[in-house]
Amino acid sequence: MDNQGNRLYLNFGNNNDRLATTDRTYPTTPSTFPQPVFQGQPAGQGAAQQGQPQGYQQGYASAGYFPPNQYPAAGYSSQLGAQAASDYSSAGQGGYGQARSAAAPGTNNDPNTGLAHQFSHQNLGGGGGAAARASPYGAARATPPGQRPRTAGAQGQQAGYGSYLNAPPMPTQAPQEYFAPAPERNPDKYGPNANNNQKKCSQLASDFFKDSVKRARERNQRQSEMEQKLAETTDPRRRESIWATGGRREGSYLRFLRTKDKPENYNTIKIIGKGAFGEVKLVQKKADGKVYAMKSLIKTEMFKKDQLAHVRAERDILAESDSPWVVKLYTTFQDVNFLYMLMEFLPGGDLMTMLIKYEIFSEDITRFYIAEIVLAIEAVHKLGFIHRDIKPDNILLDRGGHVKLTDFGLSTGFHKLHDNNYYQQLLQGKSTKPRDNRNSIAIDQINLTVSNRSQINDWRRSRRLMAYSTVGTPDYIAPEIFTGHGYTFDCDWWSLGTIMFECLVGWPPFCAEDSHDTYRKIVNWRQSLYFPDDIQLGVEAENLIRSLICNSENRLGRGGAHEIKSHSFFRGVEFDSLRRIRAPFEPRLTSNIDTTYFPTDEIDQTDNATLLRAAQARNGAAGPGGGPVQQEESPEMSLPFIGYTFKRFDNNFR
Amino acid sequence: MSNLFSGINARLRGTSSKTSSSKAPASPVSEDGRLHSPGVLSHQSKSSSNLSASKLPPPSPISPALPAPSQSTNSASGDDALASYRLPTPLPMWLNPAYAKHIVRGNFMTLSSRPKTVEPGEWMAHQVVEHYRNLWNFVHVVSAKESTGKNICNSSSCPRMSAGPNHSYTWLNKLGNRYERTELPAIEYIAMMQRWISSKVDDTKIFPTDPAGVSFSHNANIANTALLGSPDEWVGKRSGFPKEFGSICETIFLQMFRVYAHLYWEHFVDPFYHLNLEKQLNSCFSHFVLTATALDLIKPKEMEPMQPLIDLWAANGTFPPESKAYEYANLKAGTRLLQMAGMA
Repeated sequence: MDNQGNRLYLNFGNNNDRLATTDRTYPTTPSTFPQPVFQGQPAGQGAAQQGQPQGYQQGYASAGYFPPNQYPAAGYSSQLGAQAASDYSSAGQGGYGQARSAAAPGTNNDPNTGLAHQFSHQNLGGGGGAAARASPYGAARATPPGQRPRTAGAQGQQAGYGSYLNAPPMPTQAPQEYFAPAPERNPDKYGPNANNNQKKCSQLASDFFKDSVKRARERNQRQSEMEQKLAETTDPRRRESIWATGGRREGSYLRFLRTKDKPENYNTIKIIGKGAFGEVKLVQKKADGKVYAMKSLIKTEMFKKDQLAHVRAERDILAESDSPWVVKLYTTFQDVNFLYMLMEFLPGGDLMTMLIKYEIFSEDITRFYIAEIVLAIEAVHKLGFIHRDIKPDNILLDRGGHVKLTDFGLSTGFHKLHDNNYYQQLLQGKSTKPRDNRNSIAIDQINLTVSNRSQINDWRRSRRLMAYSTVGTPDYIAPEIFTGHGYTFDCDWWSLGTIMFECLVGWPPFCAEDSHDTYRKIVNWRQSLYFPDDIQLGVEAENLIRSLICNSENRLGRGGAHEIKSHSFFRGVEFDSLRRIRAPFEPRLTSNIDTTYFPTDEIDQTDNATLLRAAQARNGAAGPGGGPVQQEESPEMSLPFIGYTFKRFDNNFR
Repeated sequence: MSNLFSGINARLRGTSSKTSSSKAPASPVSEDGRLHSPGVLSHQSKSSSNLSASKLPPPSPISPALPAPSQSTNSASGDDALASYRLPTPLPMWLNPAYAKHIVRGNFMTLSSRPKTVEPGEWMAHQVVEHYRNLWNFVHVVSAKESTGKNICNSSSCPRMSAGPNHSYTWLNKLGNRYERTELPAIEYIAMMQRWISSKVDDTKIFPTDPAGVSFSHNANIANTALLGSPDEWVGKRSGFPKEFGSICETIFLQMFRVYAHLYWEHFVDPFYHLNLEKQLNSCFSHFVLTATALDLIKPKEMEPMQPLIDLWAANGTFPPESKAYEYANLKAGTRLLQMAGMA
């Protein structure tokens, strides 16, 4: 399948056509940016640049920004552009070495499995099974050497690796006379370390170009904005200040890029969340006093629980996103023991806490939150991701009381294969203790709001407890996710329906004593969806809920968020300006480090990460930052965590 | 820092006579005077870094007597140029255009050219660190030990820091007040160099990290407060970089170039080609050359061991015509290489 795919694009990668004279106007011409030669995607390349000015999209498209996809485009939505674009490195690059282990994801604790798993999440398109996905690379590597022509540059030598090499039809005999003959490629002639290093090297090189291009593009964007501002004023002092501010911002970003961040650069104010994989702290940067939420994840736990793919997915979506509806990720870094995500602190707490406090919302208030959640989900979908875990715990409230989504650990591109095994087991009724299952889907690594405060009822108690576990609550998950028949973007709209139900009724529609029963109720939603008699819902509200909590084929939103927005329940809602109106509930804060809306008094305030580092320092292990220049291998170089580090420009000018 | 690391030097093996004929800039846009005018970036100072910047003959202007007429791209003159490089026969595989390809395409200059507002020293520091990280990804592949205790680049595979038959580099040891040239196995040379470079890059007095110190570039059209051209001005001064910063960066780039040259000449096939990494190597190295030349951090003369690849990349479009790397290339030689491969 893949070789055929390649042939379609034989002429694509001609090296020489990069010299079109129009290319000379760097650096502000996007079409002249270095472009990945790995497999990209064709359909969504416009969407890949969501948020870019239209002209950019045109530029990419006409310049053939991404080479055509190798994969069949069946069922491939154009919304996936961004996701695929961001993934060319993993799919085309590091992916191929991993693909072999992708055949059995999650079956052991091999750190690579997680990564392979991750790639399998992110690979898009046809096939469906892990084996099929592995084939572009696996097949190429498995080709018996004898079938490969020995000719230099001949087709087939890198089949599947990139159609690029195969591109220009060239006489393959002549070079032999002048150039040293190319031997048979033999990647296995070296030891296992070399192969490991090969993956790292390949991944890092592609990450480098991918990140650099992204940064250059954003920088040019900022530059044209600055020039715009300069053009708008003639006041010399104002112009000088615009120039100087711009230069300082760019400069401090560059400085930030070449400097390693470390947890010691931050003071812990309070622990605001704790979970099986780590904790979330409110921290303050020592250098400038800025406040962040820092999520620290224990690497060994991530290995054990097979969470690497999820962490990576979250990092990717947050890094890609620049949406007001998504919690902002400023930077990620790591040391020997932890992965750190530095995110914006949202002081308003979350919707779960709100629901626990108020039990039910009026229809007006419900309308506000549900409308905002619609926009937030739409934003995530536009990035090419399915959240898969929309629930009140993951809906945070910012300073103004507006909604932002978080916890993208389960988010995924358009892909079928997931942890169906786990769900299947649950449905078969064997285990009532899902948290013991290693293959668990582990819904919440951590929540910003994990707490155990006095429960309103048994359900709420179990729900709070669930948030501590590696499993989380299944209450809001669409049935198709765990019946294994495949799911798509609209599974998030199901979750929306369950949240809306909970806002109006006071509990989610399928809540049960234990999660096992919940799963059964969800799968049998036709029987179990029940609107209590004593609670009067508006006709339109109930209709909307029923249009969302239904089988995927009939679900509202399947054709796009506009279907939901135009439902009569939202009559009069101005979606475009929703984020600018005053929220029904605005947090009252006394300072920028006010944690009133987090149940911190119920969270163990022991700072395990700091204690661990201190213990290690005492034991003489090389303390972070204090180690010798030449460590055997820096944490960033540990294969599963390569490419995890991320630095956002905004960090400098909030 | 021990004396061991105090000096680095290069030695050319029996190639002293070949500098004059080979590298006439083929591009009509090149202006010799401009290339070698002591611009802000070209520090030739024997600075406080103890690296003897160059024991080479002073870099002769690249365009010696004969800037060949660029129109006549007959293959003969390309052959002449190639012959003057005294390359082995058959030519190394990395000169085969089929293996000189990339993982990215497009104009790399977008990644190298300094954003207008950014203070030049800040940009230089950024580039040094980025390229250093890149290069060491590849070095890691040849230097990592297998369970057998062996690494791919070792003292028997590469007893010298060589870049083909014509070039090898010696380490300059400081013994008391004098320097002594020491021939080291490539892997040791590279390790020493890595330590030396890290010692600079990690020194916040040389590469400051405090965000408060960041400045911006001078723009005469907008700000008239800054005084440029004063004798006591240097690249990066406004942002807190020390006076020797420019020459340190030059040395780092020179040394990184040598490592690349070694990787190409001795390790292109083993292991990079076998590990399917040659396109990655090509992309990182070509970006390195573009950056190094754009920022005047390396002299064309220093790039001699890799000149034919630079020629090839100019000819096949890797280097855009407006880039300095293109200017430094002999287009005829590159075109000839393409012809040899049946690609021109």
